[in-house]
Amino acid sequence: MSSVALQIPGLDRIRLRFLDLLEHRKVNIARHALAAWDGETAEEINANLEAARSILHQIAGTAGTVGYEALGITAQHCEAQIIAHIEGPYADLAVCPGEIIWFIDTFVEACDGLAE
Amino acid sequence: MRILATDDDPIILELVSQFLITVGQHDVVTAKSASEALDLLSKNDPAYIECFLNDIQMPQMDGIELARQIRKLPNHATSPIIMLTAMSEKRYIDDAFAAGASDYITKPFDMIEFKTRISMAEQLVLSRKTVTAKLFAPSALKIAVGKDDAVDLHAPVELNDIDNVIACSAMENYVAQLSRSSLFGSTVFAFTLRKPETYCEALSPAEFKFLLEDVAECISDCLADHQFLMTYAGNGTYLCITESGWRPEMSKLMAAVNLHLNQMKIVSNTSAELYPRVSAGNAIRLVWKSNDQVLSALGKAQTSAEHAAAEFERLKSDFFHTGRLA
Repeated sequence: MSSVALQIPGLDRIRLRFLDLLEHRKVNIARHALAAWDGETAEEINANLEAARSILHQIAGTAGTVGYEALGITAQHCEAQIIAHIEGPYADLAVCPGEIIWFIDTFVEACDGLAE
Repeated sequence: MRILATDDDPIILELVSQFLITVGQHDVVTAKSASEALDLLSKNDPAYIECFLNDIQMPQMDGIELARQIRKLPNHATSPIIMLTAMSEKRYIDDAFAAGASDYITKPFDMIEFKTRISMAEQLVLSRKTVTAKLFAPSALKIAVGKDDAVDLHAPVELNDIDNVIACSAMENYVAQLSRSSLFGSTVFAFTLRKPETYCEALSPAEFKFLLEDVAECISDCLADHQFLMTYAGNGTYLCITESGWRPEMSKLMAAVNLHLNQMKIVSNTSAELYPRVSAGNAIRLVWKSNDQVLSALGKAQTSAEHAAAEFERLKSDFFHTGRLA
């Protein structure tokens, strides 16, 4: 985080709010990832992956600016995996790639690490 | 400066608001969606907001469409619109500038860079306020028809409502964005209106601007099959930047533009036909160029088109000095 960011009054409050929201967002991401994993149709799987991607996108855009660069990068990697699947040749198959679940698991673990 | 920040992420809105209030004592209004932003604009004095910060990825209407809608509002044809987004792919950058964005910041953003960009936008707003104040001054009518108010031939002019034509400052920001993203596979080239000084002197400022717009529209039409952005850089020169993979044949393109200009039959207020024609410079590829080199390539493209236009005029009158017999 740049020194200018550190000088913003109220940054601590924003970071706390980010962490509060992160807990809620993490649960939602995990819920969508599990629903995608259990999904029986390509539409169901992709809709859940898209929902998870949208939340990950927000985290990727904010985390670095409030001082959690590593978490932001992890979220970016998850988002990239989901985009690669949704825009890839197997998007019309009712399959949720295991790599995505593994990446999201890493992200959830990183969130838990921050919360502790 | 009054800024409208639109983002569906409450953390970004809070962060941006806090930062803008701290560094520049700006007034910040926030909206959680594009429709909320448009609603806010419709319910307030149109000039209430002076600068916009748009996220791209938002549910329903995205930030690029929001920029397009803002540009349609009469008071915001030239207001700074800064895209603040995590979308760093070139297609989003291209679409954003084509929709009317004047600058582009990628998240997670660096605060120093953010501060610089906001300062640039503020300077733009202040400079436009000065122009507006001048236009609405009691003596405006006298100034408007006076010689002093003529369009500066050498200065960039903002041309509105022409597909893919953006402000000169936005073009510089766009090119800087390409450099930062290491996306150098584009080509720059330019066209210069031949003898622009004669049009500038003979026509009223408004007529001269109409002429510049007609020529821009003509070039835009001829490039319509390709992805491109264009700006009017002053001195009769139009700078264009196009997508990698297409390297324009400048002589053919120049012929197409001049044919189109001929077919348009552009006339002055007194119905006299003007016969504007352009000369084309060299197409310069931006592959592997650093930020400074990219800006320098823009300068070279501009110079080569201006040189081509001057050379065309010189050869018309210097025919007997070329060593050839008549």
